[in-house]
Amino acid sequence: MTIDSDLLLDLYRDMWVIRSFEFGLEREFKRGNVPGMLHTGLGQEAVQAAIARNLRHTDAFFPDHRCHGLLVLAGTPGEKIMAELFGKATGICSGKGGSLHSADPKVGNFGDNAIEGSMMATALGVGLGFQLQSRDDLAAVIVGDGTSGRGEWHESLNLAATWKLPVLYCCINNGYAISTAVGASHATENLYEFALAYKMPAVQVDGNDIVAAYQTTREAVESIRNGNGPYFVEYKTWRWQGIFSGEFRPPEEIRYWKEEHEPIKMARETILDQGIADEASLDKIKAEVDAEVENWIRFALESPPPDPAKATANVYVGWEVETQ
Amino acid sequence: MTTTKRMSMVQALNSALDIMLNENDKVFLLGEDIGHMGGDFGVTRGLFKKYGAERVRDTPLSEAAIIGTAIGAAMVGMRPVPEIMFADFLGTCYDQIVNNGAKMHYMFDGQFKSPIVIRTAAGGGFGGGPHHSQSVEGWFMNVPGLVIVGPANPYDAKGLLITSIEDDNPILFLEHKALYRKKAEVPLDKYTIPLRKAAIVRQGADVTVVASMKMVDEALAAAVELEADGVSVEVVDLRTLRPWDQETVLESVARTGRAVVANEAPKMGGLGADVSATISEELFSKLKAPVLRVAGLDAPIPFSLPLEKIILPDKDDIKQAVQRTLDY
Repeated sequence: MTIDSDLLLDLYRDMWVIRSFEFGLEREFKRGNVPGMLHTGLGQEAVQAAIARNLRHTDAFFPDHRCHGLLVLAGTPGEKIMAELFGKATGICSGKGGSLHSADPKVGNFGDNAIEGSMMATALGVGLGFQLQSRDDLAAVIVGDGTSGRGEWHESLNLAATWKLPVLYCCINNGYAISTAVGASHATENLYEFALAYKMPAVQVDGNDIVAAYQTTREAVESIRNGNGPYFVEYKTWRWQGIFSGEFRPPEEIRYWKEEHEPIKMARETILDQGIADEASLDKIKAEVDAEVENWIRFALESPPPDPAKATANVYVGWEVETQ
Repeated sequence: MTTTKRMSMVQALNSALDIMLNENDKVFLLGEDIGHMGGDFGVTRGLFKKYGAERVRDTPLSEAAIIGTAIGAAMVGMRPVPEIMFADFLGTCYDQIVNNGAKMHYMFDGQFKSPIVIRTAAGGGFGGGPHHSQSVEGWFMNVPGLVIVGPANPYDAKGLLITSIEDDNPILFLEHKALYRKKAEVPLDKYTIPLRKAAIVRQGADVTVVASMKMVDEALAAAVELEADGVSVEVVDLRTLRPWDQETVLESVARTGRAVVANEAPKMGGLGADVSATISEELFSKLKAPVLRVAGLDAPIPFSLPLEKIILPDKDDIKQAVQRTLDY
């Protein structure tokens, strides 16, 4: 599979936006500047970049908890996402959502639901809404492998297939739900097999191969836009982060995914092999992105905390809660 | 002059849905057997034929997907009215209601709304057993962002349902099964009844009974009997159970100086606990007696009718509680 040279360079940049964002975020988290919990998208840059490039602003997407960089690629200014993760007034949700709940309807970001997998059900409604409104937009729901144990996961696939809803299922299979291997807790390690049983097109792709991930996503999106109903893509990948910060996976597995089958390294080799760009220009892309991310971090650090009135704002539509 | 018709609560609810489906093409219904069958209790009867399968949707037994679908559709501008056949089944979609629908407007700081109206059949008294009889408002009292409505008569049922569908908040709309066949004169045209506004359904001077849903009828029956004994009972129908109308309740109890709070759900941690605690907090110095609660016992609801009668509160329990506040 091949793709246009300029597109490949764009995707390379996108992937580095994700990595650089997460590197910076992890650093600030360790410094105590980012409250709460942190789940990074490190190692999953190719699949996230592939999904982001295939969506448009009138689509809806539900990100998962490792999609910080993807939220920026979708079109929200990076500083607004960064500030949200720092819990600041300037964040996209005024600091009320944080890493797990950053939504921005202007770019189609319908927000993560930290009861992971619950948005499998919500995506049905967005898809149904689009269908009833005769729009050719789609609802993309990004979920990890662990969510396939949830009832809503299966309820969603069944109903989307029954009602032929425009839903793109992006199942990011990184091998583990926290510490439990997919195969140890599911009837199959290949989750697309579940989707096949629900009578929809379902494929598995190497989620660390940016070209394959992009092309597969594109085919899925085109099929949905052509009115063929839902489509399921399982992206096989691997996350760098262990259990929160600890590591439990075998050394050989770690070496394979972080050194050999590493998405940005693979993309870089493809670009160099095909003579699309040289080392210096790829390094320049990285440096530009890194500088931009540092600006976002500075913005977040310097931003004020939210107005105390925000603590009780927007609980209900149309009236305020009592504050005494 | 507005034309009225004597109709049951089922027919009044059906009329509300008919009006809203007809008036607003964003409104659609979904749920189990609500389509050509017209719902377990007939609330959606005839609507499938009139508005079609797209807007009156039969679903599989996937309650979480029903509510998730409603929320997602609401996020893109639709006005879904999902039905959960029995309130007891809300446990299977609790997460969608509590963590998704009710919190969305807040956690995304106003960028999304979730205007859904979840209709469901609640309450006992007919031998439905442990899984078809419960009053579930207590399960949801502790959920910021959620509105709970529970009408006590056909007129309110229609007006409150129309208002709920037009409101921008997620609403749990409880329909007491024992009231479904209750009849009253109901206008055929559209009308609304405000949310968060209780109604004084009987005026009195000695004791205020704050009731909801079926307990309103029980309270009114108790009031008639107590009147023969020379006791004047005021009855307040909450209508919106969460957030409930403190102003009306407190104004009434401030006048009478005595309060009984009647609710069918178990006493512990229920609606009655919140209402009575608030009355005590706000009106301590004006109270002539402790605020008493009439509620279900701390037990599941058994199948056998004589046993069920022991668990659920009724008119006689309310009469006794009123008498206790007078005897204090």
